[in-house]
Amino acid sequence: MADQAQSTPPTAPEAPEARWFGFRPVDPATKASLVRDVFDSVAGNYDLMNDLMSGGIHRAWKAYLIDRIAPRPGMMLLDVAGGTGDIAFRFLERGGPTCHVHVCDINESMLRVGRDRAVDRGLLKGIDWTVGNAETLPVQSRSVDVYTIAFGLRNVSRIDAALAEAARVLKPGGRFFCLEFSRVVLPVMREIYDRYSFTVLPWLGQIIAGDRAAYQYLAESIRQFPDQDSLVRRIEAAGFGQVRYRNLTSGVAALHSAWRI
Amino acid sequence: MTDTKSDPGSNVDPKLLEILVCPLTKGPLRYDPAAGELISDRAGLAYPIRDGIPIMLVDEARPLDSDPITDALPPR
Repeated sequence: MADQAQSTPPTAPEAPEARWFGFRPVDPATKASLVRDVFDSVAGNYDLMNDLMSGGIHRAWKAYLIDRIAPRPGMMLLDVAGGTGDIAFRFLERGGPTCHVHVCDINESMLRVGRDRAVDRGLLKGIDWTVGNAETLPVQSRSVDVYTIAFGLRNVSRIDAALAEAARVLKPGGRFFCLEFSRVVLPVMREIYDRYSFTVLPWLGQIIAGDRAAYQYLAESIRQFPDQDSLVRRIEAAGFGQVRYRNLTSGVAALHSAWRI
Repeated sequence: MTDTKSDPGSNVDPKLLEILVCPLTKGPLRYDPAAGELISDRAGLAYPIRDGIPIMLVDEARPLDSDPITDALPPR
């Protein structure tokens, strides 16, 4: 089989987000391993923590994402940073046995949790698991119908490199979806949310996962992530068309969507 | 029920091998079932497969020329 056109791996100039680990300035070269340590630490409790932290609302957000994907027979999904399988399982349950999902996560611990959950659910077909970096995906160009990244883009060192890779692996006409924490739009709610995330979250992290710092990072990384409109511009800059977003729970999260032209 | 731990390379989904490329060169990979590795000849790297999961990270790959002890020789 002929190789696809060889695009060199994205070597974007150093991104500002690579210099921050939450609110802490770091050497860009160390960010990926710092993030990896966070998820190694929380992998075993990740899904429980998601339920506790969001009061189960993350389930509604993910269900909405699946609605928007509208899985069809034969569809091929690449779910990046999808370690524990939350998006993958919902996609397969909706799309049926001819769909396929390829889960790619930089964190081996998270993937192992996901694969064990798949076995528990009897999901053995139509799903596979790979350790890989969103900025240098080990996936063929123009090979997937849908690309999703749910609560993952915030953690990559170079957001623009990850977006460029998303554009590369999608087939023309493919869909891009990013579900991520975003900016709360209502001032009153923002205040409550801030208080909650900087006091309750680290405390919950300490009690449930035994790791306060990991959840402190979570709260901080949410504040550092581009707001809704900034992210639209960056997705457009990666070459996507019709970039839109929808706020979920007043902007606690947002779903960005776009077309690969 | 058995798992794949005893033979890490044995359980790689063929469908997965179709879509995977070297993350560095985006070039093709060669599956070495004996070593349980995915080899990128162009990059000169062998990516390990642990427990059936390909580890496609450059910093976890084995440079092909640095370790002649293993059986990762060029294709015959």
